[in-house]
Amino acid sequence: MKVLVYSSFTFSYLNRARVLYQTLRRFHPDWELVALITDRPPEGFAFDPAAEPFDRVVWAEDLGIPDFQGWLFKHDVVEVCTAVKGPFIHQACSSGADAVIYLDPDTALLGSLDPLVEWLQDHDILLTPHLIDPNDDLTAILDNDLSASRTGIFNLGFVAIRTTGEGARFAKWWNDRLLSFCYDDMPNGLFVDQRWCDHVPALFDKVKVIRDPGYNVASWNLSTRTVAVEKDGRITVNGAPLRFWHFTKLGPLGDTMTKRYAGRNFPVYEIWAWYKRLVAEATDAAIPERWWAYGAYDDGAPIEKAERVLYRQRGDLQAAYPNPFAAGPGSFREWLQTEGA
Amino acid sequence: MRSLVPAALKLRLLSGFKRFDPDRAVVAAEFDAAWYLQAYPDIAKARVDPLAHFMAFGWKEGRDPNPRFSVREYLNEYPEVARAGVNPFVHFLKSGGEGSRAPRPDLGFRYDVIARLVPVEDRLAQAARASDAVRPGAGLAGALGPIGRRQLHVTFSHDDYTANVGGVQLALQREAAGVAAQGRDHLHLHPATPWPMLRTDEPAALGVVWNGQALGVFAAEAVAEALRAAAPARPGERSFAIHSLLGHSVDEVLAILAAAGLSEGFFWLHDFASLCAGYHLLRNDVEDCAAPPPDSAACGICLYGPWRGRHLSEHERLFRRLKLTVVAPSQPTLDLWRASWDFPVAGTLVHPHARLRSRGAAPAPPAGRPFRLAYAGLPAAHKGWPVFRDLALRLADDPRYEFLHLGLRSTPGLPVRFVEVAAGPENPRAMQQALEAAEADAVLVWPLCRETFSFVAYEAVAAGCAVITGPDSGNVAAFVRDGGHGAVLDEAALAEAFESGEVLKLGRATRRPALYDLDFGALTADLLPEGTPA
Repeated sequence: MKVLVYSSFTFSYLNRARVLYQTLRRFHPDWELVALITDRPPEGFAFDPAAEPFDRVVWAEDLGIPDFQGWLFKHDVVEVCTAVKGPFIHQACSSGADAVIYLDPDTALLGSLDPLVEWLQDHDILLTPHLIDPNDDLTAILDNDLSASRTGIFNLGFVAIRTTGEGARFAKWWNDRLLSFCYDDMPNGLFVDQRWCDHVPALFDKVKVIRDPGYNVASWNLSTRTVAVEKDGRITVNGAPLRFWHFTKLGPLGDTMTKRYAGRNFPVYEIWAWYKRLVAEATDAAIPERWWAYGAYDDGAPIEKAERVLYRQRGDLQAAYPNPFAAGPGSFREWLQTEGA
Repeated sequence: MRSLVPAALKLRLLSGFKRFDPDRAVVAAEFDAAWYLQAYPDIAKARVDPLAHFMAFGWKEGRDPNPRFSVREYLNEYPEVARAGVNPFVHFLKSGGEGSRAPRPDLGFRYDVIARLVPVEDRLAQAARASDAVRPGAGLAGALGPIGRRQLHVTFSHDDYTANVGGVQLALQREAAGVAAQGRDHLHLHPATPWPMLRTDEPAALGVVWNGQALGVFAAEAVAEALRAAAPARPGERSFAIHSLLGHSVDEVLAILAAAGLSEGFFWLHDFASLCAGYHLLRNDVEDCAAPPPDSAACGICLYGPWRGRHLSEHERLFRRLKLTVVAPSQPTLDLWRASWDFPVAGTLVHPHARLRSRGAAPAPPAGRPFRLAYAGLPAAHKGWPVFRDLALRLADDPRYEFLHLGLRSTPGLPVRFVEVAAGPENPRAMQQALEAAEADAVLVWPLCRETFSFVAYEAVAAGCAVITGPDSGNVAAFVRDGGHGAVLDEAALAEAFESGEVLKLGRATRRPALYDLDFGALTADLLPEGTPA
């Protein structure tokens, strides 16, 4: 089976993505690894795709999304890096690959993903839920179960599909929805791509919900998962081999949630320490922290989220200012400073 | 941040705080002044009131009021307290009754060890900098003299056994004394400065010890040259033993041995450096790994994983070039080593560093005395000190138990009676005698890493104590199981045995133990055909 794996990120996440691709290469040297980037390299950073641990780069602007600049402007960085996952997976269905796997850039493999290929013999769509065991503790219910109810049952840091049948039908549907509705707007039932996928078991056949604790281990499910390192060198989660970890929120918040639920299960801290070492090694000082080329107007002024939301909501503004990033006379920015203020 | 310059000014200010700080009384009941001064020597040096310092400055500097409360962890866990800018310990004590806030998340001591891990690259760079500062001397050939007429024994280890204290160093002293008694000259080579692993491309000079006297620091080539220059027409019997390759280069060792005309010798398993750069086989310094396959997931997340290949391939080269008889101080050590990697060896031996010789029954202790659990030696995490400390803290008010620490320095602020013991070359039985005098019922020997040979375990049993140890302690667990010398428990079973009182079965009154002398071996000197003086 020809497998294509992609991740979607900006240059400020290149360090984490490098770690993901390094671990993918280690376990799956035959899989095609694609970097989907919605960004431009910062000045002073020489981006050499040939030296990166992936096989090729696809720039979001080359996905053929209509009115790309206006479309992009409607999204913040998280929203747009999520939204482009749809068009890419839809187009990848006609790329010659038999299966396509998406992994978030802050995931990393600690074991082989071969069982996915096995499951894809019988299923067209694979999803990992945030939780595979319910919590009983009140804090854990508030932190994890209710959070998943708000943000989506499945964690879309991972999805795998066959490029035919129900997999292809899912890809087209996801493409369509994410092009129009990939916003962090929980009051309206949207949390980027995730709430959409609550519908997947209802809308599609041949869906497998992966209830194996070795997949997509993260702070939100550590309350019901125990990690062990065996004397024979295997790492297990509730007895099953560890496959991949989702290192969400690298920093104090991620640390706090991890500690709250890992407690004395110290292999969890070993795995985080390993990941932090790899990310530090993969970090290029030439990339400014929080860099995103599309985070500012052409004159360098930062774009506020409220300005993106306004533009998103007003068809007249979209028609009047097809390139909302522009600055100067006749620009959306000028309109904001005068009439929009 | 922790400047002591304004200490005098602070002192005057602090005396004012004493009168006016209403929270002081709340904190005073739980504040551990002795621990604070021990943990923060700069405060002790500044001679300020520790409680006043904590209330005014300490908590803002991330200093803890006692070993049970972490200011940093509390603020991380409760960011609203950090935002409010209030003393987190005061906040905890005032809201503690609600029961929902922990003084610090119960993450176990291994969390702290992992948080403090220093990348191996940094350790290596630091070792290289220290080594670069050493300038090798000249004129070694003259200092060695005409050794060619005499019998010669060459040893390699990680340091100067005459200058450093430790189990391996003491053992090497006995080997040195043994070969001297056999009439052999003894050339000991060690890296001039410590290294965390064996060297490949990193240059370094070697310290040279000749018949127990440190001659100085020389380049490896100078050592080889001196040996070549001293080569006689008719050499006496020659031997060598490799005790540790840490800080050595295999190429240098081979060149030096070739210059001395040596190719058959002994390789000691004092640790597992031949299997991994993490020579304690302690994955990320927190758990015994048992040397799994180098491409395993466990090695993949280990700090030492990327360096394991260096130690395996370099040792393999050594074993291919020399005819080495491998000597383990215990059977479990040899068993694990053989199971882990297939080095080409000339032979294998088990030769313990000490044996027990009975000297009669121990006197019965007075009836009704609490069970005395002792910890012997350095209070270090990899020796299991946190396991002992946590047990002592948990059972501090339990009248069934008494906790003793025998060692060089006390750790204040714990419900533990300290007994000063300074063991060394001049009094090698000091620990055994102190344990016997203290009438400890049991010694907690809980190394996180598998010991190749544990002197402490032997000393404890010789003193009539039971040994309580964990399943990953290597020679200790085997010694306890094989000899019926105590109990092998995991951490959960350990806690349960103390809670239930099951452990009281190991009391002296119930066991009626024997006392022993320790007959120490002389390592390689025991294995050589007895030499004849020149």
